[in-house]
Amino acid sequence: MKKATEKAVPVAQEKDVDWDKYLAAYYEKPKSSLTWSGLDVQEVYTPQDLPPEKYKEIGDPGDYPFTRGIHRNMFRGRYWTRREVIGMGSPQDTHDRSKVLVDEGGSGLNTIADIPYEMGLDADHPWAQHEVGLTGVCITNMYDMETMTANIPLDKVSWSLITASAVAPVTMAQYVAVARKRGYDLKKLRGTIQNDPVHFRYCGFRPASPLDLSIKMGADVIEYCTKEIPQWYYTTVNLYDLREQGVTAPQEVALGFLIARLYIDEMIRRGYKVDDFAQRFAFYVSCHIDIFEEVSKIRAARRIWAKLMREHYGAQKVSSQQFRFAVHTAGCSLPPQQPLNNIVRIAYQALAAVLGGVQSLHCCSYDEPICLPTESGHTQALRTQQILAYETGVTNVSDPLGGSYYVENLTNKLEEEIYKVMAEVEEVGGMYEAIRTEWLDRVFEKEALTRQKEIDDRDKILVGVNMFNTEQETTTPLGVQRIDRDSVKRQIEMVKKLKKERNQTLWKEKILALRAAAERRENVIPYMIEATEAGGTTGEMMGAVRLAFGHSYDPMEIIEAPF
Amino acid sequence: MSKAKAKESKDRKIKVVVSKVGLDGHDRGAKVVSSLLKEAGMEVVYLGMYQMPEDIISAAIDEDADVIGPSFLSGEHLVYTPLIVEEMKKAGLDDVLLVVGGVVPPEDIPFLKEMGVDEVFSAGSLTETFVAYIRNNVRQ
Repeated sequence: MKKATEKAVPVAQEKDVDWDKYLAAYYEKPKSSLTWSGLDVQEVYTPQDLPPEKYKEIGDPGDYPFTRGIHRNMFRGRYWTRREVIGMGSPQDTHDRSKVLVDEGGSGLNTIADIPYEMGLDADHPWAQHEVGLTGVCITNMYDMETMTANIPLDKVSWSLITASAVAPVTMAQYVAVARKRGYDLKKLRGTIQNDPVHFRYCGFRPASPLDLSIKMGADVIEYCTKEIPQWYYTTVNLYDLREQGVTAPQEVALGFLIARLYIDEMIRRGYKVDDFAQRFAFYVSCHIDIFEEVSKIRAARRIWAKLMREHYGAQKVSSQQFRFAVHTAGCSLPPQQPLNNIVRIAYQALAAVLGGVQSLHCCSYDEPICLPTESGHTQALRTQQILAYETGVTNVSDPLGGSYYVENLTNKLEEEIYKVMAEVEEVGGMYEAIRTEWLDRVFEKEALTRQKEIDDRDKILVGVNMFNTEQETTTPLGVQRIDRDSVKRQIEMVKKLKKERNQTLWKEKILALRAAAERRENVIPYMIEATEAGGTTGEMMGAVRLAFGHSYDPMEIIEAPF
Repeated sequence: MSKAKAKESKDRKIKVVVSKVGLDGHDRGAKVVSSLLKEAGMEVVYLGMYQMPEDIISAAIDEDADVIGPSFLSGEHLVYTPLIVEEMKKAGLDDVLLVVGGVVPPEDIPFLKEMGVDEVFSAGSLTETFVAYIRNNVRQ
């Protein structure tokens, strides 16, 4: 009998492990202790860094300068609004997805315009036809808006309409026209419109948002809503999109605030006092991956805004001094490589938003850098918010990081840095000049290049991209969202049909009245509402106003005015 | 080949036409890539936004480009890439590299390559990878 040991034992071929790398990882320490924006921080902060007498400059939550939040009880009073952005395919497709997220526990509707709509093009424009519905929803006429909002009680829900460009007054007019048709009291409508045309020139929409028209249209929405829809937040000045260009946290706030001031100054020029309108000002803020820096940024922003409104503009009303904001977790921080990791990134960013005292939150879906969110991706993003809201206990206490030696110091540091950026803009002649001379374009280009080099040089680590980038998916874990081309084609056909079938005499009368009002430099929204009711379209209404301001009818300069 | 000609050919920079396509104006990536290719010693013609396939091809012909680099974000790669490939075939640009960049689902990459795209670099690609790819695959 042979001994057992003589039998050849089959040994599985083991993959070699790099033990040196493993041991290095054990002893590894962070390469850098700078914040994401490159701010230097100490190893430790102690009571010496925050003497008790300094507390009065911080203030309690709910008290000026609102460093610690705009409400004393914060989330004990009400959760933040769980408001996922939705926009895809036709108005019907967008309506359907909205209902899914309502069913799954969302608490605020939030629909986003697609590129043709933001450009002020009708769905049947030659340049638009290929791209309708790819990045949002295209509302060309009243029928599209009725379809998107069908069977939704507009007097009860809060709706965020994301139209940022100079087309924002058109969106507002289309929404109001539908609300009027359904017999709603405009005083009861609640929601927000993005309406920040100035910033949108940096997001690829320059032909649709010439600077003169951007300030005019932005202020028209502010003025109209203040008078007619008092519960409506008529602008959410978009700091988020600025950050997405690659700038730092201090630049995000400083540049955004200076853009906000262009609208405020225009309202003052029109004869309003700041307290007549400022209580419905709101902001859209990014939350990037550096949790403490983002929380500090938000706290600094609240303090700066309060001081700006009270000390510079003389706002007396408390609500005019409060910085109200929604957060969009940072899309640009999410790589397509190993995309499930994005769920974790988004959760940290959402945590920063909530620790910062956010009013309304959109969490990106994990597939943000790949495609529009699939239904399961969208629902998962909402679940991230719900876990944060219902499981973690983060809602118990207002401004839980307040009084932290570190966070209070970082807040001060951010405040200082924000003022520094504002001073740089002053040096080039203020925001209007910074835009006109393309100084701001150069800032964005420089910063974007720096961000890429930080990743290339591994000064910043992005897991799955410049470290641990071993596995690269060939499929997207929860599938890819596709746009239903047939549904979009039906929408385009409907637009063409409506243009043929409307009462041409009435339509022309209303469009010409709009153009005349724009020539007189009146607020265009009341005229846009009537033009919408008479079958006027987005492209036609924008074209009428553009002509009155000496611009081409069609921003793409392809089609001529039909009137 | 004369010495002068050989030198010129050796020193000739790789020429890349980078462009956005259609209405989408998300141009952060296209601009950054243009700067990085320049820093890597290539000549870049950045066409900017609102270019249609025929605009890109005519620029590539005029510039005698070695590489065409359209940048996409909004899913419009499925609409415009076939048109770019068709225009390239019509113009006989068989030896020009077509390198797509931007937001492209991994599922679409085999489809694009089958159609005639040489390579796809999605967001998150490191500069060293696309610079090396172009250097190693560009026409000699």
